[in-house]
Amino acid sequence: MNVLRWWGGLLLAFSLLVLLRVFLPLPFANEIVIFSIYAMGCNFLLGRIGFISFGQPAYLAVGAYAAAFYLYYFGANAYIGLLIGVAAGLLVSFVVGPLFVRLRSDYFALVNLALAVIIYYLMQKVLADITHGDNGLWFLTNLSATPVLDLSSPNEFFIFALALAFVVWAFYKYLDDTVYGACCLATKANEDKLRFLGYSNFRIRLLAFVIANTTTALAGALYAVYLGFVSPEITSPMRAADPVVVTLLGGAGTLYGPLVGSIAYTGMKDLVSKAVGNWELIIGFGLVFIMLAGEKGIWGTLEPILKKMLSRARIFAVTGRDGADNP
Amino acid sequence: MTSTEEILNVSALNVSYGEAKVLFDVNLSVRAGQIVACVGRNGAGKTTLLRSIAGFVKPTSGSITSRSTSLIGMAAYAIAGLGIKYVPQDKKVFSDLTVRENLELGSYASRDYNWAPVIDYFPRLRQLMDRKAGHLSGGERQMLMIGRAILGRPRLLLVDEPTEGLAPSIVAQLREVFRELSKQTALVMVEQNLPLVCAIAGKVYALHEGRTVAELADRELITPEICERYL
Repeated sequence: MNVLRWWGGLLLAFSLLVLLRVFLPLPFANEIVIFSIYAMGCNFLLGRIGFISFGQPAYLAVGAYAAAFYLYYFGANAYIGLLIGVAAGLLVSFVVGPLFVRLRSDYFALVNLALAVIIYYLMQKVLADITHGDNGLWFLTNLSATPVLDLSSPNEFFIFALALAFVVWAFYKYLDDTVYGACCLATKANEDKLRFLGYSNFRIRLLAFVIANTTTALAGALYAVYLGFVSPEITSPMRAADPVVVTLLGGAGTLYGPLVGSIAYTGMKDLVSKAVGNWELIIGFGLVFIMLAGEKGIWGTLEPILKKMLSRARIFAVTGRDGADNP
Repeated sequence: MTSTEEILNVSALNVSYGEAKVLFDVNLSVRAGQIVACVGRNGAGKTTLLRSIAGFVKPTSGSITSRSTSLIGMAAYAIAGLGIKYVPQDKKVFSDLTVRENLELGSYASRDYNWAPVIDYFPRLRQLMDRKAGHLSGGERQMLMIGRAILGRPRLLLVDEPTEGLAPSIVAQLREVFRELSKQTALVMVEQNLPLVCAIAGKVYALHEGRTVAELADRELITPEICERYL
């Protein structure tokens, strides 16, 4: 495999993000990076396994609150907070995964939503003594400066989050190239055929569930560290559709769909809300239009066009002829 | 694998889909190196028989054993892991994966990364390695499905109507492939193509309305005229 070609797409995409930061306000840029990691988990479940989940806020909250509990009650090192958030996501995924992934896709969507509601009420009411309910946990001033990059500084946080997102994308790109990646697509296409080859669909789905939701928990932990604050609002059922919308908007199953979707969704929200009051209505219509125009999402529609252009450019560079055999 | 070793034994098999009983006390046995064919009309229960052996359908009673291991209750993927591979009737491959990726799936599951026998049987696949499987013709898909299934040198291949809808030249190619393959892998084949069955099968079972109505173990009795009586 050509190493340059393998890394080239990733480097180009993230270079464009760095360039975008020049024009975008820092909070906006941080939101895009974290939200795209959040959407990546949903993208993997929906695009690769074919499972839609309306419960991603649950795993976001697990990561966020785990990090927050550490940073509020026990320590001040944001790196450790992030690790604890990721570990919590991993643990919860392993506990609920064996039950959830046995369900058919529609029931899977609902049981995850149910989990999000459960966690919402746990954090809002049942555990209010330690979560402070709707008032949330505030720990921004608790955060100590971290070595290498000071995560308590928004600028350095952005650099860290961007580097982390790069690692996440490289991981998913690597996964795509493995037999496991092929197994994920195969289980989505025809799980019976995969069984007859000797694969356990349950194990494939369980691993995908754990990977996706650990990624989501990472996003939750990043939110916690960035904002220095966590409240039950993070797992509100009202926000259940957010990552699904971003995934579909960007292009489900594509590598860069979550990035593109996150930029488009966050951008639309930010721009439209400044201009009109009922911005959710405008965004709703905008999403319907985009879906009708290209049901593969923005990147899902653009990617094949760009690949074709790139292929023709390569042919022209080598032969002096375009792909249609015209000199 | 010795030629007298029994690879599969199905005894008094009963299968139902809910309230509807589909197989009634069906018996079948396959020896190493043998090609066994199941013939019968549509709805006779041939596919259900293969799917029961493959672990996709759970019988209500009876036994299915392979080398003293009972297959009943085993998950389909575990049966495949034992070296009993099922090639279903539909020619659906993993369309979004390339031919190469489809074969890699077969290799990884069986830990057999030697594709030379597959290419020997189906040289056409070498030229199609980077093509998406969804863009293959029916014959090419069948080659891919069988090629993928024989990775890992399975002890038994269950093939459901492999020549349905295929051109005569492809059917002829598959006939020779099955003959060659049977030297290392026993085959149970559901087939409506009687000339093919009579050319290569060492034993024929005829099913009618879920029951075994004939077992032809004598090669001289395996003729299109005799087999046609059971269709």
